[in-house]
Amino acid sequence: MNAGQWWTRFRSWLDDRLGWGAVLAFLRQKKVPQTRHTIWAYTGSAILLFFIIQVVTGIILAFYYRPTLEGANSSVARIMNEIPLGWAVRSIHSWSATFMIALVMVHLTSIWILKSYRRPREVTWMSGVLLLICTVAFGFTGYLLPWDDLSLAATKVGTDIPRAIPLVGNFFTKLLRGGEDVSGDTLTRFFGIHICVLPLALLAVLVVHIFLIQRLGMSLPLEAEIKKKPVKEIPFWPNFIFREMILWLFLLGILLSLAVFLPPGLGASADLRAPAPEGIKPEWYFLFLFQTLKIFPAHVLFMSGETLAVLFIMAGGLIFFFYPFLDTKPASAKGKVLTAIAWLFIAYALALSIWSLLD
Amino acid sequence: MKLKASLFSRRKFLNGLLAGGAGSLAASLLYPLLKSVIPPYREPDEVRVPLADYSALAPGEVKGFAWDIKPGFLKKKADGTLAAFVGVCTHLDCNVSYLPAKKKFFCACHEGWYDEEGRNISGPPPAPLRRLTVVLEGETIIIKKEAPE
Repeated sequence: MNAGQWWTRFRSWLDDRLGWGAVLAFLRQKKVPQTRHTIWAYTGSAILLFFIIQVVTGIILAFYYRPTLEGANSSVARIMNEIPLGWAVRSIHSWSATFMIALVMVHLTSIWILKSYRRPREVTWMSGVLLLICTVAFGFTGYLLPWDDLSLAATKVGTDIPRAIPLVGNFFTKLLRGGEDVSGDTLTRFFGIHICVLPLALLAVLVVHIFLIQRLGMSLPLEAEIKKKPVKEIPFWPNFIFREMILWLFLLGILLSLAVFLPPGLGASADLRAPAPEGIKPEWYFLFLFQTLKIFPAHVLFMSGETLAVLFIMAGGLIFFFYPFLDTKPASAKGKVLTAIAWLFIAYALALSIWSLLD
Repeated sequence: MKLKASLFSRRKFLNGLLAGGAGSLAASLLYPLLKSVIPPYREPDEVRVPLADYSALAPGEVKGFAWDIKPGFLKKKADGTLAAFVGVCTHLDCNVSYLPAKKKFFCACHEGWYDEEGRNISGPPPAPLRRLTVVLEGETIIIKKEAPE
């Protein structure tokens, strides 16, 4: 028996036990609609690429990182200076995080504007919002880990914001910080959340998200839904997968170039009692929220501006999560008002981000 | 009267028993778990610093001290006594700095300003800087956590 025969027999032996033939058969006959909006369908797999890179580089970083007041900054310095190609691993991890969040934004915006969240894809959308929260939480917890002045100030502000939520806010702030104040406990806790809680949560939701996409199929663009005429389709395997591979290679090329030529810096170890550095700004994806907090006055009517701003942001988040239940029109209805609101929000977020950058 | 069929089947009863039992077990475990996620912290009642370190301050001058893990500031007032502030912004918890040229406390995170008495005068801070009581005991300055009268 040669190797090929042996492999075939091994596969059929395994299939008898696992029954994955049905899954493979499904993927072989799966089709993807080919329209002028198909380009957005590639963003999902690109996000997956960067997530896989995060997992692999993150594991390597965790081999050397020490989540303590004394060890954090120096262990990152060791990764940058001593570990063979450690600087590259950290740089890829940092850039890949940026790429992942940027693509999540594009992915979400395209679905929002094209109204792909409509019946029967409400749960797919809601699982997507949960994935967004996980992704941003990854960014927020990871930002603290190098433990320099910038990351400390960002974490102090970020973990103080829940305090403005009435009733439960104080508890949330204490839960996040591991006490009243940001301290060494916060750092250790963020590390645990970053490498254990969030990966488990994200994977669990991701399974649901991907399963639903397979079960319901790709949504059709509005024009096709209105005209009710059949849309051109291409096979998932091999046509779509190969197009995805081209994109993955292209993105990998950009990622590696940026990671090699623009590695992230590392400030001196944070001092809990040092004043916040001047001109601090959070990571780019928090800029519009940062600027929103900044423009709210200290007091509005009977409550503090901060509480009002946080309540606004939370209400926005809830509306976003339940969006498919606010827009219950059938897939073929246009919904111009909601499209306009979506564009307005995007314009607001972009304008405030740019304002914050120039400020 | 004898019913032909039971209103509450044995299976339904068992389902309810399992769900209720598992639910109350989970709920009773939740409290100790939540209790353990926040470590205890007690703010110090007082911090002692040697007077010698601060005796050279001219009226209006400000010098820092460590209020446990937070920054503190001691200011020499015009009458020669000392006032103590916790140097943490009341907006979103950033550490503030004292700018001697402007005679103001400044928070760089969201551009909050406090005057030399620690009063919030501009930007987002909703309240003045927290003040602490200063007591002199021989050659030692004792800073207590209570607010001064």
